[in-house]
Amino acid sequence: MISTYISKYPKFVQLFIILFAAGFSLQLASCYPNDPISASDTDVVTTFHNAAADFSTKMSYAMPDSVFHIGEDGPVDSNSPALDQQILSAIEANMAQYGYTVEANPDQADVVVVAMAARSTWVSGGCIPWYWGYYYSYPGYCYPVAYTYETGTVLIIMVDPDLAGNGNPADALWIAGMNGLLDGSSNPASRIDRAVDQAFKQSSYLADGK
Amino acid sequence: MMKSKYKKIILLSAFMFLAMSGQGFSQDWISSITYQISFPAGDTKSFTDETSYSGFGLDFRKVVDPYTTAGFSLGWNVFNQRVNKTVELQTKNPGAITGLQDRTLNSFPIMLNVHRYFGRGHDSRFFLGLNAGGYYMLQRFSIGIRTLEDDQWQWGIAPEVGFIAPLSRSSTLIVSGKYNYAFSGESPLGGDINHQYWSIGIGFAWSQY
Repeated sequence: MISTYISKYPKFVQLFIILFAAGFSLQLASCYPNDPISASDTDVVTTFHNAAADFSTKMSYAMPDSVFHIGEDGPVDSNSPALDQQILSAIEANMAQYGYTVEANPDQADVVVVAMAARSTWVSGGCIPWYWGYYYSYPGYCYPVAYTYETGTVLIIMVDPDLAGNGNPADALWIAGMNGLLDGSSNPASRIDRAVDQAFKQSSYLADGK
Repeated sequence: MMKSKYKKIILLSAFMFLAMSGQGFSQDWISSITYQISFPAGDTKSFTDETSYSGFGLDFRKVVDPYTTAGFSLGWNVFNQRVNKTVELQTKNPGAITGLQDRTLNSFPIMLNVHRYFGRGHDSRFFLGLNAGGYYMLQRFSIGIRTLEDDQWQWGIAPEVGFIAPLSRSSTLIVSGKYNYAFSGESPLGGDINHQYWSIGIGFAWSQY
């Protein structure tokens, strides 16, 4: 039917229609045209800071010598002490670069920095339509799929000990969250270094007291 | 859900093209099909700063007099960009987010139009036109394992300039440029966004006048 329809037009128009149809089909398959990504490509660094915070007065910090691990039911033991040390070292290096000095006594420090880590398992699912790209897929007809994936999150929280000392929860001065997909094959140490560096890089106001 | 929506638009477009470019309409209507390359501008450039090579347009113009047509147009333009950069977050407590981002905009303009032609009968002729209607916009912003999607109708206009050059008794080359401007919209990241982009189309029109 379609060949009969277009055959009444000149050859070059027919050729254009055929090429156009081929290009159109390619476009159909690429409404969201992106290449696959690796686990490290999922790394996201998010930071927030208290709009009222004056970082020019913050020059010393105290930090616990361990990373607090949080499970679904509360605190859990770390199963990656080497990575914990990597996180703490990366924070120390960046704090030093921004002019902060280490204060052993938290009460004497201008700010307290705490590192936390969590691992989450996500369950997701989807629906792959039948005959996609062949003809219109009838709603409801699809192959159901389910998959799970694990993500790791590192949180760095900076608080003012003077504000947090009266028993009331204090607004954090600064929070950095680093999240990414865990696949067991990529190099987590380098991803942690990159993420912590990026958290400080996009928070240059932390160096106001330098 | 989103896919079924744009597939409906595609099917509607295909149906309109087959119906309107049929023998019974060819004496009074000009039907055209164009491949389009689009260049983002304004807020669209901020969202996806990449030239779009995925686009097409269908146009159906009724001949009102030898110098004027009135009709409607449909189209589809896909903008896409993968970028790794920091986005400032305008939240109560200021923030920033960094990561690999896939940003995609599927724009489906659906508009009424009027065109005015300059020149004589079967010569090559320039034309000016105004398209008015709206855009069905599908926006997607993916970062990390998260995806924000938004679909909405945005009113807009698209001034157009172009020319047609006869190639045979029944077919015509058509080249045109449009400035697509959506009046208002909302970004998947929050805040207002006014999508704008230039489109250059080249294709064929079927006319008998």
